[in-house]
Amino acid sequence: MEALKIKKDAESTIKEFLKFLMDKNKVEAVFTLTRMEDGFSYCLIKDKEIISQAVPFYPFMPSNAGKMLSRITLIEPLRKPILAILRPCELRGFIELVKRDQGSTENIFFMSFICPGVFPLKKLSLGYEEELKEYKEKIEKGELSKNIRNTCKACEHFIPYNSDLTISFIGENGKESILIIENEKGENLIQGFEGERIEFEKNFVNMKRERKKERERIIRETEEKGKGLDKFISLFGRCISCHGCSKICPICYCKLCDFDSSSHEIEPSSYEDEVKKRGGIRVPSNVLLYHLGRLIHVSVSCVNCGMCSDICPVDIPVSELFLVASLRVQRLFNYIPGRDYKEEIPLKTFEPEEFTEIAG
Amino acid sequence: MKVNKLIIDFLLSLMEKKKIDAFLLPLKVPSGDYYTYVLTDEKELIEKGKPVPPVMPAGGARALQSLTRLGSLKRKTGIIMHPCQIKAVIELYKMKQVDLENLYLFSFDCPGVFPAEKYIKNPKETEKKFEEGNQNEIRELCKICDKFDMVYVDVYIGIKKENIYLTPKTEKGEEILKDFKLENQPEPEEIKKRRSEAKEKFIEDFEKEIKGPDALLSLFSKCINCHNCMRVCPVCYCRQCFFDSEAFDLSSENYLLRAKNKKALRFPADTLLFHLGRMSHMIFSCVNCGNCEDACPMDIPIGRIFTFMAEKIQKEFDYVPGRDPQERLPLVTYEEEELKWVEKPYTRILRR
Amino acid sequence: MKEKEFEPKILGFLCNWCASAAANLAGVSRLKYPSSIIPIRVMCSGRVNPLSMVHAYILGADAVMLAGCHPGDCHYKQGNYLARRRYALLKEVMESFGLEADRIKLYWISASEGAKFAKVIKEVTEEIKKKGPNPLKKEIFI
Repeated sequence: MEALKIKKDAESTIKEFLKFLMDKNKVEAVFTLTRMEDGFSYCLIKDKEIISQAVPFYPFMPSNAGKMLSRITLIEPLRKPILAILRPCELRGFIELVKRDQGSTENIFFMSFICPGVFPLKKLSLGYEEELKEYKEKIEKGELSKNIRNTCKACEHFIPYNSDLTISFIGENGKESILIIENEKGENLIQGFEGERIEFEKNFVNMKRERKKERERIIRETEEKGKGLDKFISLFGRCISCHGCSKICPICYCKLCDFDSSSHEIEPSSYEDEVKKRGGIRVPSNVLLYHLGRLIHVSVSCVNCGMCSDICPVDIPVSELFLVASLRVQRLFNYIPGRDYKEEIPLKTFEPEEFTEIAG
Repeated sequence: MKVNKLIIDFLLSLMEKKKIDAFLLPLKVPSGDYYTYVLTDEKELIEKGKPVPPVMPAGGARALQSLTRLGSLKRKTGIIMHPCQIKAVIELYKMKQVDLENLYLFSFDCPGVFPAEKYIKNPKETEKKFEEGNQNEIRELCKICDKFDMVYVDVYIGIKKENIYLTPKTEKGEEILKDFKLENQPEPEEIKKRRSEAKEKFIEDFEKEIKGPDALLSLFSKCINCHNCMRVCPVCYCRQCFFDSEAFDLSSENYLLRAKNKKALRFPADTLLFHLGRMSHMIFSCVNCGNCEDACPMDIPIGRIFTFMAEKIQKEFDYVPGRDPQERLPLVTYEEEELKWVEKPYTRILRR
Repeated sequence: MKEKEFEPKILGFLCNWCASAAANLAGVSRLKYPSSIIPIRVMCSGRVNPLSMVHAYILGADAVMLAGCHPGDCHYKQGNYLARRRYALLKEVMESFGLEADRIKLYWISASEGAKFAKVIKEVTEEIKKKGPNPLKKEIFI
């Protein structure tokens, strides 16, 4: 694959590139992770001045950028071109939303990167100086940091699909960055940007191996905690039914979630009947139904970004549970969410001859 | 806690005397690291209950909304919750989200609750701290809560030195306490004084942190607009929050224009609008429980911001949420002559 | 005193054109089968929301059955193909967490297969009797 080698670290390279794009009017605005006073947010940047605050590779995901792009393009597509810098899982999330008519890719140049993962959001309040040092050291060596989200450790698709440009800086000793040109759109974008033309293969065999091991370990540990009826019920004992996991999830796009709507309201007589049958019932009820329901609705397209676990106010390992289910469900339908625009969502299509042994 | 056992015995005796058929009370969850409300009429389950738990059980007043929004319970049911949650129940009743028929409300002198995170990380140690009466590590809002006994209940349970004191506050309460020997309830003066002083100091200190648009923007610079605070609020009952609705679906052109005007626009957009908007919707009914601050993933002092405003605004309208179900919400009623200070600038122009 | 034998309660979603007709035929032919099934007639197996099946399971149904036309014979052309995919998804999710996925069943029973219907109910009832009642019947923290 053709690429541009730039003899600078990724942060400096990207800032120069963004300024270059805006100077040459190749894009109207840039959408990327930006440093705020005390935190981070994805920002639509129109003024070059703010580029100095852009930190696309900083290890935090305050919201799923794919979900944000869907908000921007829901009513109508962008009329002028922008560059969006997203992590691979966020880009996959956006493509899944586009398949569901929740956004448009028109006029968006996609830039992604070989993703080394993000820290859990809690770290922002607890402090993360030491962790950030370790993170940078590991990236330079091409290894996995041990302080990232569990879903990041287990990530199978850290090499992006469907980007126009991909940046690689893992294992480049922090001194060089590679700008991989994925297609013609990417080629047009980098025309005029200085760098050495090279051939680059996205191998990352070591990282794939390391993440596979982590994935198997996390699946094993999650199954130990949650596989089996008693354990499953135990895991959701703490659930306060806030539905934060659904609201932060990129795939959950429904404005009024079925589980928040009147169709899931429980009559007081039903509650009293259940008390007669069981002796007692948790109020509010239907916690298991909500989670199993969300698993059924979302797992085919779950991109394992890990926002749900971060947002849960009572520390339920939602993203790890979705990791276990989504891997199995996606394997069942031979489907990778976000891999291909033309690939239909598994529940909207069928083959006449499939699952022939499934009926009794 | 010995007090928990005394309250459980009291509740069971109410059931024995057939004054109450079932209770909604906090029970420990199977994994042993949180509490949740359970509706039950079984003695064995009630005995396992903890009416005064060390954390805010899942749902709070919203549990009662889930139970009685569509109608009233048929059996006489006792509800025992923290004072702030019962206040929220009364506010929800004013907003037609709860049916109080056949409900008997109980509350108590509240020792505060620990933040959920602290409890979940180390349940055993936190339980011990709770038993010892630790007041340093409870929720920030619990430390300044001095109106815990200004709540509409049928029976108020005073707690002093490991003893409980039952006081009926309504006719229903008097009816069920008919056969009980009642002692004069001691005033929880010490706790109230300590918390009152802490509240005054808090308002004084926080005033500096919150003054001016820059200060507010600074406080919310970490906010990721996840809306967790709204979702765990006992008083925010809307199934679809206005700030999650189609009203906020804006076109790409709108966002690009705003980004042009401000140099950049952060996403999700309209963070400050959400907080100030939510404030304008529910500040009168804010019961200062601190659920919002507990649920915030970015540790923003959102509970303190809302409490700071709630104190000022509720005082301005002489309104105390949860004190009286017949007291109308300030925004659905009016006096013909009031709030002259708002009108002043305009009358000056008219006089000319 | 002899303990009351466990009589399973099976919730059955039967499609109007095939499975429900088969149940009818079994009745008319006076075929004997246990009264463990609570039938719900739906117009097509493809109309059944997998959430309804999960909800029934959570509320304590000992088994939940979905029965429709054979693949290729659906009255509405592709309803049962979609139902098959939804059922596969539901099974996979439940198996991921060891949630007794074998209490959720799918059968293709055409309108003329009255005998098959009776046989299926007998078999499922036997299987669930051995398995025992659904523990979620008595669960407080659902």
